Amino acid sequence: MPEAIQHRFDPYSSNGGSILAIAGKDFAVVAGDTRQSEGYSIQSRYQKKVFPLTSKAILAVNGFAADGNNFVKRVKQRLEWYTHAHNKEMPIKSIARLIQTMLYARRMFPYYVYNVLAGIEEDDGTGAVYSFDPVGSYERETCRAAGAAQSLLQPFLDNQIYFRNHTPAPGQPPFDPSTHPLSTVLSILVDSFSSATERHIEVGDFLEGYVILSPGRTSDDLIGEGVKGVLPEGMTVEEQDPEDLDVQSAVAGKGCRVFLVRKELKRD
Amino acid sequence: MGSPMEMNGGSVIAMTGKDCVAIASDLRLGQQAVGLSADFEKVFPINNQLYVGLPGFATDTYTLREHLRFRVNMYRMKEEREITPKTFAHLLSSTLYEKRFGPYFIEPVIAGIPAPSAIDPDPKPFICNMDTIGCITTPKDFVVAGTATDKLYGVAEGLWEPDLEPEDLFETISQTLLAAVDRDCISGWGAVVHVITKDKIITRHLKGRMD
Repeated sequence: MPEAIQHRFDPYSSNGGSILAIAGKDFAVVAGDTRQSEGYSIQSRYQKKVFPLTSKAILAVNGFAADGNNFVKRVKQRLEWYTHAHNKEMPIKSIARLIQTMLYARRMFPYYVYNVLAGIEEDDGTGAVYSFDPVGSYERETCRAAGAAQSLLQPFLDNQIYFRNHTPAPGQPPFDPSTHPLSTVLSILVDSFSSATERHIEVGDFLEGYVILSPGRTSDDLIGEGVKGVLPEGMTVEEQDPEDLDVQSAVAGKGCRVFLVRKELKRD
Repeated sequence: MGSPMEMNGGSVIAMTGKDCVAIASDLRLGQQAVGLSADFEKVFPINNQLYVGLPGFATDTYTLREHLRFRVNMYRMKEEREITPKTFAHLLSSTLYEKRFGPYFIEPVIAGIPAPSAIDPDPKPFICNMDTIGCITTPKDFVVAGTATDKLYGVAEGLWEPDLEPEDLFETISQTLLAAVDRDCISGWGAVVHVITKDKIITRHLKGRMD
């Protein structure tokens, strides 16, 4: 007897890609690749998954793209309501707590997404990275990789950002991950994604992300005279006008500068 | 019971340098999450220019090591010379494919420098790895195997560069292995590195996290 054909709707899918964020003393960097795939098929070579939320907070979303896009939309809506109620931008630490409650609200039918939130802390102007699991467990960290190539990226960051298994020379102070200059962080970012592109089929096409500079920041800028060597080779940069960012510009925070950075990833 | 490949844990990596090769393994032997031993080396000498790493199912590590010792000793007696890395790779590949439908759960890694011969007076450093049924790959940079494979690929791709001198190659392979096994629950518990040059072998035990 032939078996009856059974149909079942699966509400989830995985769309590949990876995201990465690194916090500095007075800046934060967050980026992801722009490839969107399903199985062995490429659906798009340029689909954003890193989104500005405010003038000093950027959200990267990885996992199931449909859930990710909808989640970002609803976070932005909650932030808009916040500005209407309080006439100011929500600080990044509050955005992090908001994201936790929004994810946990769907505890029994989760958004299948890994979120990484990066930006500048309101009180002390330090670079901040917050990472989340799909149901809202979160933590502030110096750096975090998530997505398909997470297992390729994170141990490299442990070595290069956190100086794991490095011993300072006798008499030297311990290594401090918060002292990395922006130029070093951008090089590590690019090298990480170049490596992941080599070895992971779901990572490739373009690297796109944002650099946020703290208001009190004085040292190496990203554009203008005398800043050659800050940007890795092949990377382009555009300073973002707060008016053009899709954020609550009427009450945009003062002083933080946001830069869009892009780089094409290896083609073979 | 899980897959045999993840029962005992453990990882191996090999890299090429300038007239040298390096091969390294962690030292953990476990029963799934429970650690049993911190001196289980997975890399074995075949002769004084050739090493083989056998990560995977620990009982097969032993079985294969003993089988290979037997085959290489017989080869040495009959041929009255040492086996070359390339020949050894094909011997191991055939051994694995013989068990095509009931394989050894081992992903071997081979590293060595062939002795100069009449046909090949200036031989190049040799590395290769293969899957559980003997499919050989021979890249020019590095090979990895074991439970931390993904992590090893990520770090090695970032740290490795061509033509490293033996001491620089030692640092590169050591940092790669330690960074990778520290993100793998069932690899670690110490590490051992062998750097093979034309005229000597440097073997060092690394101090790593013991958790």
